[in-house]
This record gives sequence, structure tokens and C-alpha cells, in this order.
Amino acid sequence: MPSVHFEHVSKRFGATTVVEDFNLDVAEGELLVLVGGSGSGKTTILRMLAGLEEVTEGTIRIDERDVTALAPRDRDVAMVFQDYGLYPHMTVRENLSLGLRLRKVARTEIERRVKWAADMLRLEPLLDRKPKQLSGGQQQRVAMGRAMVREPLVFLFDEPLSNLDAGLRAQMRIEIGGLQRRLKTTTVYVTHDQVEAMTLGDRIVVLADGRIQQVGKPIELYRAPVNRFVAGFVGTPPMNFVDGLLASENGGVQFNADGVNFEMLSSRMPAAMPAGPVTLGIRPEDMEVDVLDSGSAASASGGVAGRVVLVERLGGTSHIHFDAGQTRMLASVTNERLPGVGDAINVRLNSERAHLFVDDRRVSSAS
Amino acid sequence: MKTLRRIGLYAALTIAALTFIYPFLWMASATFKPLAEVGTLALFPTHATLDNYRTMWARAPFGRALINSLIVASTITIAVLVFGSITAYAMARLRFRGRPALNAATMGVLLVPGQLTLIPLYTLIVQLGWIDTYAALIVPYLFNATAILMMRQFFLQIPQSLIDSARMDGMGEMRILFTIFWPLSKPVLSIVAIFTFMGSWNEVLWPLLVVREQHLMTLPQLLTVFSLGGGAGSIGVSLASAMVLVVPVVIAYAFLQRNFIESMAGSGVKG
Repeated sequence: MPSVHFEHVSKRFGATTVVEDFNLDVAEGELLVLVGGSGSGKTTILRMLAGLEEVTEGTIRIDERDVTALAPRDRDVAMVFQDYGLYPHMTVRENLSLGLRLRKVARTEIERRVKWAADMLRLEPLLDRKPKQLSGGQQQRVAMGRAMVREPLVFLFDEPLSNLDAGLRAQMRIEIGGLQRRLKTTTVYVTHDQVEAMTLGDRIVVLADGRIQQVGKPIELYRAPVNRFVAGFVGTPPMNFVDGLLASENGGVQFNADGVNFEMLSSRMPAAMPAGPVTLGIRPEDMEVDVLDSGSAASASGGVAGRVVLVERLGGTSHIHFDAGQTRMLASVTNERLPGVGDAINVRLNSERAHLFVDDRRVSSAS
Repeated sequence: MKTLRRIGLYAALTIAALTFIYPFLWMASATFKPLAEVGTLALFPTHATLDNYRTMWARAPFGRALINSLIVASTITIAVLVFGSITAYAMARLRFRGRPALNAATMGVLLVPGQLTLIPLYTLIVQLGWIDTYAALIVPYLFNATAILMMRQFFLQIPQSLIDSARMDGMGEMRILFTIFWPLSKPVLSIVAIFTFMGSWNEVLWPLLVVREQHLMTLPQLLTVFSLGGGAGSIGVSLASAMVLVVPVVIAYAFLQRNFIESMAGSGVKG
């Protein structure tokens, strides 16, 4: 299986720059996920790799071969589209085999591959139906089958699950992951859904405004986001951010903000203490909530006094939205005993997992 | 009460339908009536005869005119579909410099009435030496702005992912147009085909200008020359020649009517 290389790739539409100096190496057999919000350039990058969009500057290589100027059909890549892109007037069998017939693959070989893909994706009984007669999940599998029978060098997925309902999405996510591991085909997968990215990707590339924010294994992005964007993008519910100032107190470093006073773990502080405003980042699951009996005050150390504004019970976990001073925060807890709206709570932040950002870049060391 | 209303409704609709159908049926039956009977309103001739057709056929080369009309109308229809869809595809789905200008120009052509271009076009044909040729009848009609815009509008609705898939599958643009877009665009292609064919089939003025040789005349042209020139002699013969003109269009309509009605009802393609 080949590797894919982007070298200083840029894409401009007129005066608008969509992708800026994009550099990335996708390893052989890897499943790499490009994730970002709308307008982040992720789909454009995928379409440039597919050959559906021209590259303004830079080079794209598949292994050693420069494919930058090649037509889609000459790149030996296959793509699964968000709305599947199945030909509505052709049967499933014709949809699967068309690409091979156009490449003049021998008939027996076409039959073998169609059967192989149909077996693997449980499409056998659907081969003579038209796409309109299939459910969303089935259409999705046909689209994957069409990519598989081509036996391409690289698979490209463009938000393949976003048209499916939640249950089916989870199921297809598992199927795609399993399939990719079995076939070991180098894969680039685009999504805006960070859960999809975290569960599927060997590595994840987080994009914003056409630039790479961070590349890493899912857990690296979660544990050690390089900047505030990545910290806020990866993880659900998203990380809490509190703007404040640092102060040295009794040999330790104290973070102070309206309603949030918190002692930073010295081992995780940067070598030189940043001056000026900083942002504290803490994930909802890195907080513990104590419900206070009426009248008692918030405890002293590592504690944040809050007032509950909303409690969402999800079953196993619950989301507690609370105000600490002027700051609205969210804690994700598994408590049996939950506070009610308006109750006073004491929130303990896990200092091992707290992040510190200066000018949106993380300065605290990784946990 | 309900049944009564229904009966009333059907009666009204039947009368309305008859007002459309009766004149046509009367014409059809009149062509089989002898001269003495033509004046009556009856739908069935008491002494049916083919004399009107025989006379018509004997007096002017209607067979040849029928073939001429078929050649001209079919060539124009095919050309409008092929060239028009190629243009429409480019206008709807390809990015190139000058596309907005091309759209505007095509739209602009619609605003120019045919009568205005008639004389310049005629002069052009004369200078090209195309008077009394098929080229004079066919070439000016090979492209049609209305058809292009109708197809463009339809093509805009076809999902981009189909084009992308086809490109990934290895198709070129022409192949995408004819193997993906055409099958999905049957409604609009049918309506363009019918309108173009009928328009060309019924055209009288232009052939009268550029064709004088009887053996090159189209059917409506010959019919006009024949009837107005007094060649028919009787109303029965005139009507018989009109029948020859109408029948092919009715047949074409019968074949394409399902798609025709579909596209008139404004259906689109769903990806």
C-alpha cells in the first residue's frame, strides 16, 4: 500500500485562500482523518487529492509519483461521497462494475470483484435493485463497494456518514473502521464530527481556516491539544475555558478569575511564568461536583463555588451547567446524587488535567 | 347528490373535450368524403372514398415533401438535442472564463424576435449560395437558445457528486453527459424534442423564402403553395393534404407524451 504526501499545497478561489501551505504525510495503510468545521478546507484538500479540484500551488504525491496534474481517473484513488453519488438509473451491480468496465477489466475479473465486495458488504440480495429502492445505509454500503471493487491505491471518504441517522451512523462507523483494517488500504477520511474522528482515525489532522492546527493520535489531541481551537474542538462536551491571571502565592502558582480561584500544579507549569492574561482550560469530565447542603460555604482548596443553572441527565453521566462568577461552565459527572437548578455546588478541578493557554497557545505541559 | 354532481362534472368535461376534438375528427372524416358530402357536419362519411388523397398525391409531390420534412425536422431535432445539451452541460457544470457572458448572451438571444433576423439571415444564405439546398433549411436551426436554457436549468439540479463519481470512475465530460445526464434528463429532452420537432415541422415562412424548387419543398410549404395556388381544387383535397401534415406530429406526441406531461408538470431528478 502506498503513502500520500502533500507538499506546500495551497488552494485559492479567486482572491479567497481556502487552503494555505498544507504539508502532510499519510503513512502506508493508515486511516487518517481530516477534521474541522465548515470552511476549514478539509473537503477541498480531499478533492485536490482526488483530482476533482485543481491545486493552485504545491505538489501532491502518491508514493513517489507526482499526481498533482493528473486527471482523477489516472490517480488510482476511489472516493465515497457524502450523498453517495450513485447513478440513479443503474442497478447496484452496474454501479459497482461501471468503473471497472470503463477501465476495460476482464469480465470474469469484474464478476469476481463485484461478488467479493457484495459478500463483504452484504449486498448480494440487492444487486439488481436501483439505488432509489435502497435504504440510506444500504446506499452507503453500495458507495463503499464501488470504491472497493476498484482496488485503488487510496480510499477517500468525504463525510460519508452525515446523511445517516444517529444509530446507523454509529454502526456504519464501526463497519468502515473494520473494513479499512481488513483491507489495509491507505485512507483519508474527512468529517466535521469529532466523535467520528476520534473513534476511526489512526491519526487526526485538525484544520481551521485552511491551516493545520495539530496532527496526532486521537488521545494526543485529547490530552495535549496545542492550542485553544483544538482543545475546544476535540472532546464532547467541549472543554471549559476561563480567562484570568496568574499570581505567585506561597511558592505555588494561583490562577485567579472572577469566581474561579485555582492552584496550578507546579510540575505542569511552563518554565517561565507567563505574564498578563491567561486562559485556564478544563474538560467537563475532569471536574468533580459536591452538592452543598444549604448554608455551608464552598470549601477552600482547589474548589470553585458555583450555582447550578441546568442539569441534563443522560443516564450514566449527567451534565451540570453552572455559573462560577461570570463564567458559565459545564461538568460531566457520574454522581448518584445530583444538585437541582439553583443549588450551590462546590466543584473540584483535577489539577493534573488542567491546561493553561496564552494567546490561544497551550503553555502548560502535557499530563 | 354526489352522483348527480359527478355526472354534471363529467358532462361539462366531455363537452369541453368535444370542442377540441370534434373539429379534428371532422377534418379527418371529411378527407374521406366525396365532394357533395364535405359540407355536412356528420362525423361518418356515407360514401367513404380515398379520392381526395389520390387527387392530392397526383397533383403535387407530397411524398417527396413528406420525406423532405422528415429529413429537415429530424436533423434539426437531433442537432438541437446533441449540440444544445453539450452547451447546456458546459454552461451548467463546467467552470471556465466567460461563462457568465455566455449565459447572458444566450438569454439575450431570446429577446431578439425571429422576424428581426429573417432578412439578414436570408441575405447570408444567398451569399453562401445555399438557396435551394437542405443546408438553408437546416443550418440556421441547429442551435436553439430556449432549448439550451431549458436543459441548463435541468442540468443544474443534478447532484455534483454524480459528476465527481463519474470522473473518478474514469469518464470524460462527453461520456458523463451522454451516459449519466441524458438518461436522467429524459423529461427535459423529450419536451425539447417535441417542441423542436413541431416547430420545425410546421415552419412555413422560412422554407418559402429559401426554397423554390418543388422537389426540395417541405410539407407545410408545399401545402401552402398547393392550397393557396389553387392546386387543390376542392376543400376535400386541401383537408387531405392537411391530414398528411398533422399525422406524423400526432404519432410523435403519442410516443413521447408520458415524458412530455411529466416535464410539463415540472418534475425533477432526485439523486
